[in-house]
Amino acid sequence: MIGERPLGLVLLEMILLVLLGPLVTGIIQKIKARLQCRQGAGVVQPYRDLTKLLRKGTVQADTASAFFRFIPVLVLAATVAAGALVPVIRAGPPAVPLGDALLLLGLLALARFLTAIGALDAGGAFGGMGASREMTIAPLVEPVLMMVVFSTAIAAGTTELGALAAHHGTSSIVAWRAADFLGLAAMLLLLPAETGRIPVDNPDTHLELTMLHEGMLLEHSGPGLGCMVLASHMRQIVTLGLVAALFFPAGPADAAGAADLLLGAGVFAAKILVLATYLALVESSYAKLRLFRVPQYLGVGFVCALTALALRIL
Amino acid sequence: MVHTIIDDLGALLLFTMILIVAAGQIYRAIYAVAAQSLLIAIAGGVLARATGNVDLWVIAGVTLVVKATLLPWVLHWVVKRMNVRREVEPVIPVAATLALAVVIVVVSFQLSASLGPVRQAITGNALPVGITLTLTGVLVMATRKTALTQMVGLFASENGIFFTAMAVTRGMPLIIEIGVILDVILAALVMTIMVLRVRSTVDADIADLDRLKG
Repeated sequence: MIGERPLGLVLLEMILLVLLGPLVTGIIQKIKARLQCRQGAGVVQPYRDLTKLLRKGTVQADTASAFFRFIPVLVLAATVAAGALVPVIRAGPPAVPLGDALLLLGLLALARFLTAIGALDAGGAFGGMGASREMTIAPLVEPVLMMVVFSTAIAAGTTELGALAAHHGTSSIVAWRAADFLGLAAMLLLLPAETGRIPVDNPDTHLELTMLHEGMLLEHSGPGLGCMVLASHMRQIVTLGLVAALFFPAGPADAAGAADLLLGAGVFAAKILVLATYLALVESSYAKLRLFRVPQYLGVGFVCALTALALRIL
Repeated sequence: MVHTIIDDLGALLLFTMILIVAAGQIYRAIYAVAAQSLLIAIAGGVLARATGNVDLWVIAGVTLVVKATLLPWVLHWVVKRMNVRREVEPVIPVAATLALAVVIVVVSFQLSASLGPVRQAITGNALPVGITLTLTGVLVMATRKTALTQMVGLFASENGIFFTAMAVTRGMPLIIEIGVILDVILAALVMTIMVLRVRSTVDADIADLDRLKG
């Protein structure tokens, strides 16, 4: 019933995600700037930053081991591989079995782990602090993400994201079951945590003592830092793509023509744009939470996800 | 169709309940309970449309006016008037309350699943959702120190009973519903006056009234 996605399309989608990742960050920054009555940098600013970083030389801490150099590449590779598992242009399982939503979350967790290891390896105080905080938050975020995935997967009978999206079909929100509302609520609460934004993390600063992710990047420089930054752009768009695949109807499932593919791409862009606007609005209207309040905030997401699961099963 | 809408509304009701439990500030709890009452009113409207019961329309309207507008406004006014601390003061940490709320959700669903044939006759998930709201409301009342947040818990609990009654009976007799609404208004007024009087005479709150005299 559902057309499978050929491998070429899957790879094309993955490359598309890599290329569009920085743009999403740029758009969020632009919306934030506008909300603060500033002009703001252009939406292509992240691309300029990346090309600048790739041209620079690398400086490495004396205390860092040989493994430190490979960290950025490995992180980027894990995140990009996660991108291959997200359906972008059209729904349907890939023709070659690649992996499911659990693998996606696992790859993101791997990238997070490697980032933390790198930060500890360099031996800087900030890096160590950022890593320890990140590892405190991560075990609270990842199980909840998994539960949200499960609450949707139970209805579809599969954890493969393409098939999940196809199960939702092209129908609109009318087809939502009760559990979807709670699942989406949990997901929206978790989005800032997973993408490293206020109220859990602050992406704009390298100085504040409350930062998580940025603290771990301090020891990287040049192309390595470029890889890390690109990986965090990628993680953001992959997470948004995960939400889109889980909760919003995907593009046409059995499309073959170029027009249908374009339509699918447009629909995907619209969904990502809506979610990016949501992130920008949240980031502009809330203050960063105290670190010890974060577990409570994530606890709300946990309860929502668990209730969604209860609604599905019981 | 009605089943799905009531189910969806039930999920949103559970979400507002979670917000009430997790609210760190009194205002947020008040807004959440107002949203909850609004959802109850919508559920009443949906059921009224489905069953053609005119009484339900009246009840939905009264709920909208009294519980979704008037009572939150009164609570809001009292918070402003009393100049109390805006933060909710829980007896046990909010995270623990959330965990208890999860237990309540699971238990209510498990219990009503065991009812089997009875549940089939009831619209959608209304019974477990109603039980959850009622018990969680009691939980909020039991775990908060200030009278105002306890009132929020009472209203949430009352919402739960109301929702269950509406969905189970497909519209109770109008006279009972009106009686319940009047009770709630009366309770709110008495508690408001109590809170204001206690505060103006001894400058204490409910948590300080823990010793019996005589």
